[in-house]
Amino acid sequence: MINVIKEQKGNSLTVKMAGSIEESVNFEQIIGPSPGAGNELQVNTKEVPRINSVGVKAWIKYFQMVSGSGAKLKFIECSTAIVEQINLILNFTCGGEVESIYVPFTCTACKGELVGLFKTVDLKKMELQLPELKCTKCGGKATFDDIPEEYFAFLSR
Amino acid sequence: MSFTLLLISELPEDKVFAAEVAVTAGLSLKIVGSAAEGASVIAQEDGVVLLADVSTEKQYLALESALQSQVGLFSDKVNPNRIHFMTSAELEKVQYLVQSPFFGQFLLRNFTNVKEVGAHYGRIIKQSIQERAFGLQGYLSPQAKVQTIRLKKSSQKQDAVEAVKNFLIAGKFQSRMASAIANAVDELIMNAIYDAPVDDIGKQLFVATSRTTQIELEGKHCVDIQVGFDGQYVGIAAIDLFGSLDKAKLITHISKIYSDEEYRVRTSIAGAGIGLATVFKTGGSLLFVSESRVKTEALVFYKRCDSYREFKDQFRFVSTQFYF
Repeated sequence: MINVIKEQKGNSLTVKMAGSIEESVNFEQIIGPSPGAGNELQVNTKEVPRINSVGVKAWIKYFQMVSGSGAKLKFIECSTAIVEQINLILNFTCGGEVESIYVPFTCTACKGELVGLFKTVDLKKMELQLPELKCTKCGGKATFDDIPEEYFAFLSR
Repeated sequence: MSFTLLLISELPEDKVFAAEVAVTAGLSLKIVGSAAEGASVIAQEDGVVLLADVSTEKQYLALESALQSQVGLFSDKVNPNRIHFMTSAELEKVQYLVQSPFFGQFLLRNFTNVKEVGAHYGRIIKQSIQERAFGLQGYLSPQAKVQTIRLKKSSQKQDAVEAVKNFLIAGKFQSRMASAIANAVDELIMNAIYDAPVDDIGKQLFVATSRTTQIELEGKHCVDIQVGFDGQYVGIAAIDLFGSLDKAKLITHISKIYSDEEYRVRTSIAGAGIGLATVFKTGGSLLFVSESRVKTEALVFYKRCDSYREFKDQFRFVSTQFYF
């Protein structure tokens, strides 16, 4: 099941998705038709923990249509699950811009999971040198927890 | 029949790995340095399980040539179910193995703890030399408890996937790992429900059927899910009663890479064809046991790790056991 919150500001429609994206998700139904040329669609996937292969297929089919209609497509606050797909599938973003992503961290002390939100423009400047975060549970040191060359591969495309 | 584990490799870490595999699987171990010596052992002995370093195409071609000249490619002694290829490169980078007529199993050599992964793979080999390699329990250490869930309708898939995810979180897997494993289970169940069913002449019944179409999983269409965790490795199996798995198609799907080639949406099939490749890319080992027209068990294995980085980069394999 997926929940969607839509917010229209001027010619920009922001869609926040929460839940898993799988075969039951019909993007045409939950988002609607493409906003069309001259308009922007911002897709926020902060709360998407996973997407299965049929969900990926539906995603590409829908966002290719949006992109093809001339609308500007922007992905914001991409969850780690979505970043993984961006890296695995060349055309997952369908020509859209990835503005910001969640970066996974793990606390070296309590092993707790954390995520930090980064703008892709800043990540490019950092050249994979990420800062350490302070664990929100125990105050310990949290370090980036993935393979940098894989997690940030899309930045160098 | 008693079995021998034959290692063709000159790499020290392969020797340590093979020694641990042999101990766990209860096999005697022979180590040789060249394909020619290996083929000679296979020609002379029955019951050889071959573990070969084929990191380069040259090594693979030497092995193929030695087997052809000393054993014969159509000999019963060249049985893909007992051939294990080892490399340090991802599957998509070793297309010469993907296209090999005796592809049986592929091991990605990420030996962070060589003894531990040797013991894990030893259990895989031990089970693979049984008359039929079915049964999740045999692939995990003896203390593992295996639970079975029977799906009665395709609509129960999501609940089963969420149940597995919650089980993993309770078993102290990070939520990101649990999500990755849940996705793997999702793919296996979908394949069992929609891709496995065939008619009497082997034509797929639901290949073009929307994955949202509800299917009653009665009789031959029933799908069982097994979940087992031994404190270190979790294993999950999706079982169907069609035994229709096509090995060549399967290996092509798993080894396909979409990071430098666009994914094209095909409308003629309802599935996406990318699920299993993603499973392997994100740390999962895949094992398929299929007896033609009887049953297929599709299994995934993951080690519980302290970090996602270690989880994604863990030792893994693709294994196929086919019976015709």
